[in-house]
Amino acid sequence: MFRSFHNSLTRAQSKLMFGICALFTVIILGLLGLVAGYLVSIGVGSLSWSFFTELPTGRPESPGGMRHAIEGTVILIALASFVGIPLGLLVGIYLAEYSKEWWLAGPVRFIADVLAGVPSIVVGILGYELLVVPLGRYNGWAGAMALAFIMVPIVARTTEEMLRLVPNTYREASLALGATKARTILRVVVPAATGSIVTGVMLAVARVAGETAPLLFTALGSRLLTRNPNQPFPSLTVQVFTYATGPYPEQKRLAWAGILVLISLIFVLNLAIRYMARRPGIAS
Amino acid sequence: MNQSMLPSVTLTTATPARPRRPWRSILRQRGWHIGADTLLALLVRGSAAVVIIMLVGLLWVLAAAALPSIRTFGWSFITGTDWRPNELQVPRKGPDGKIVIEDGEVAMDTLPPRFGALPVIYGTTVSSLLALAFAVPISLGAGLFLVRVAPKLRIAGAISFLVEFLAAIPSIAYGLWGLFVLVPFLQGHVESSLQGMLLKVPGLHWLFYSTIHIGNSAIERAIPMTGRDMLCGSLILAIMILPIITAVGRDVLAAVPRVQIEGTLALGATWWQSSREMLRFSRSGLFGAVMLGLARAAGETMAVTMVIGNSNQIIPSVFAPAQTMSSLLANEFAEASSPIHRSALIEVALILLVMSLAFNVTARYLVVGTEARTAAAH
Amino acid sequence: MMTWLRQAAVVVLSLGTAVAVAETRINGAGATFPNPIYQRWVVDYQKAHPDVKIDYQSIGSGGGIKGISDKTIDFAGSDAPMNKKELQAAGAPVVHIPTVAGSVVMAYNLPGFQGEIRLTGQLIADIYVGRIAKWNDAKIGAINAGANLPDLGITPVWRTDGSGTSFVFTNYLVTQSDEFAGSIGAGKQVKWPVGQGGKGNDGVTAVVQSTPGAMGYVEMNYATANKIPFALVRNRDGRFVKASADTVAAAGEGVLEQMKQTLAVDLWNQPGENAYPIAAFTYVIVYHDLAYLKDPNKAKALVGFLNWATSKDGGQSMASSMDYAPLSPGVQKKVKAALDSLMWQGKEIAPAQ
Repeated sequence: MFRSFHNSLTRAQSKLMFGICALFTVIILGLLGLVAGYLVSIGVGSLSWSFFTELPTGRPESPGGMRHAIEGTVILIALASFVGIPLGLLVGIYLAEYSKEWWLAGPVRFIADVLAGVPSIVVGILGYELLVVPLGRYNGWAGAMALAFIMVPIVARTTEEMLRLVPNTYREASLALGATKARTILRVVVPAATGSIVTGVMLAVARVAGETAPLLFTALGSRLLTRNPNQPFPSLTVQVFTYATGPYPEQKRLAWAGILVLISLIFVLNLAIRYMARRPGIAS
Repeated sequence: MNQSMLPSVTLTTATPARPRRPWRSILRQRGWHIGADTLLALLVRGSAAVVIIMLVGLLWVLAAAALPSIRTFGWSFITGTDWRPNELQVPRKGPDGKIVIEDGEVAMDTLPPRFGALPVIYGTTVSSLLALAFAVPISLGAGLFLVRVAPKLRIAGAISFLVEFLAAIPSIAYGLWGLFVLVPFLQGHVESSLQGMLLKVPGLHWLFYSTIHIGNSAIERAIPMTGRDMLCGSLILAIMILPIITAVGRDVLAAVPRVQIEGTLALGATWWQSSREMLRFSRSGLFGAVMLGLARAAGETMAVTMVIGNSNQIIPSVFAPAQTMSSLLANEFAEASSPIHRSALIEVALILLVMSLAFNVTARYLVVGTEARTAAAH
Repeated sequence: MMTWLRQAAVVVLSLGTAVAVAETRINGAGATFPNPIYQRWVVDYQKAHPDVKIDYQSIGSGGGIKGISDKTIDFAGSDAPMNKKELQAAGAPVVHIPTVAGSVVMAYNLPGFQGEIRLTGQLIADIYVGRIAKWNDAKIGAINAGANLPDLGITPVWRTDGSGTSFVFTNYLVTQSDEFAGSIGAGKQVKWPVGQGGKGNDGVTAVVQSTPGAMGYVEMNYATANKIPFALVRNRDGRFVKASADTVAAAGEGVLEQMKQTLAVDLWNQPGENAYPIAAFTYVIVYHDLAYLKDPNKAKALVGFLNWATSKDGGQSMASSMDYAPLSPGVQKKVKAALDSLMWQGKEIAPAQ
């Protein structure tokens, strides 16, 4: 099959392809450095205390800060998590623990994967049709629920995978000692996989923190500090998009700072996920 | 796994320290035995049902809202190239082809809005395929490197983390970078030099000139090299799907049994020859990884909207502005004024959804299938 | 577990209601054309009336009209008056209230070019239809005698969203070129054969800013605030006029008589020596009966804000400095009468400050 002797052409070809593969790896890392590095360096220059504390002034020359947008994103993520995480956890438990007794588990797993691939802008349109039109206005609930829609499949699948990694001996021991199935799951299996489940939750939070498209037609956006989800709701991503696509340089500076904040948050979450995955535990 | 890792198990036979909740005993007295078991089973199956409802509901709501547009335009929606949300007043032409004049005034016909989605389907397809063309070689090469070389250098973990971080960067960050870095770079340096080099090559004329039809005449215009075009959109998409294809590809390649690799080496293969065998062995899984990247590229919105030029036309050149299905939705959905416009946009969303779901399902089947086959081969 | 759930439910429900009681929040959305001055107005009005919080999202006139028709917003901003179909879809009678008049200028990006470009309506139409592809085309050179126009391709920039600015611009061009009228037509959202799109006035400005050779139609404030040059346009009387608060006011001089049944009148292509040809009013659109606001305080606050915005000492005093033309005294009177006629569930609203 292969030349049992290496002529110089084959060797040279192999060395060349090796070099190309190494180069490609460097390219990927280089692109990361280019993109993230550029965003960080410009963002750092634009970041100031007023970014976090001030509200928009309405004047493009000195636009103020993005405090309303930061609070808005935090509230939206909190509301979305309130619905998305429990639902995702329950589905994950279903897929991991109840799959043998109910024929529905296979289709549900398939559907959870399918849902993970829905483009986020389509989720936004669904949110508009279901939650904006009937309620009569753009509101924060629609935005939060659109984000929850995105969170559920991520939390469900990672929870399922982490629960599957818990050895069956745990379950068998618990049942042998007389615990009911619910007690087994809730008091034995889930706590054993808590660290890994938390990483799944953090993945979901990191994902929806950066989403823009689902919020465009649901929460819309606002210049006001809003705590009432019945109204159009500000968010960091939409505000950055609005400022970035406009012509005013001062607003663009704020957009850069906003992106830096967003990327830092996601970086920290990713680091935390990596750290927790490395701790000694079942899921190593 | 050491003893200290075993969590404590509460025994149901022990008497609970807290008093029983009153509602439970009330229910039990009435003959309802609802234990925690039933409750959990109910909750869990209920949420499974919710997940099914989520998908079915999504398809149902979109299909119902798109129905008026489907009924009005039928197949011409997918084949038509005219996306015109406004009514157009055109002079009425008589059977002889001449303009009809009534009462001394030119008689006008009002053409209703027309929606043909072919330009955006073209935009999504071409930008995604171009993105794949850029990204797949780089991803597979890097995947090979990560699986075969990096573990020996002990940098595999760090590189994997960085690749995953690249995947986690939100779309709008890429959009910002593309808008303020890539677009000026392409506009100022790359595209003009490309134009200088390639114009002399015969047969590439169509890259730099487009023909437009006004009335009865056709005019050839030079395509301005603005940097905000299909090329830029594809490049941004390529950068965005690189980490996904790399990560999944690396996993697929890592699952190749060592026996295979050792076998090729025993037969005297060079590094590249054995790598090629690895690629061949896991080709369906790699194809699945590529499809995952394709699915992500097709559904990507924010980054593409900011750099693709937003022109709802089919112009074959990569230097011409374009529009994808998702950027069309981002631009027009918030203010679709007429119900038929909104319905047409939702039909586009439906097509986009079906497209990306098809890619995702195929990808999943291929990747999972590969893992199953690899496990069976052990 | 149950107490935690109960506590959480209480917190969540009170989130919504507690804040709503203390203040009046009014949501408006629509045209990007007047957005710079509307943003100033809502902030300044809030300084004087701290409990009235008005939020205006500039999503384009089409979005505003759709929002007020669906009643998803409290007032709409639009440069394009609602057409017959839209009025039908709205159901109840609406009132168009002109707030300021502004101009649509042709902003361009010609690096290194000194001097001012002159254009006619026919030329602009030819550029957007695609007939004229380069800046040094003979037709442009003919009316810009002596200007050293570069051999650079023209990228016409237009609006991707449903835009009142597009409405004004296309309606003006329809009066200037039959070819434009037959191939592109007029409307808030039309099909443009060549060039690139931007979202909102700000999007178009950003595209023009970053693309050498581009030309786009934007509201004047966007061009002046970003120091982008714009062209002189030939008006109906044959003079080349530069857009300014005065030339827009000149365009608005004769329209008072046209404001009979509705206050929505066209300002483009008006006669007058000093009139800028691509001028337009921008309107706030509300229903005649404000009952859809569901809160009488909201209705009072909205009427109060609109009265302040259209009064000489209130919002109108900021107009000229931001390159908009304030409403003439005659128009202001008609606007005041229209605002006084707004009803709440069939009854008059108590006069606001």
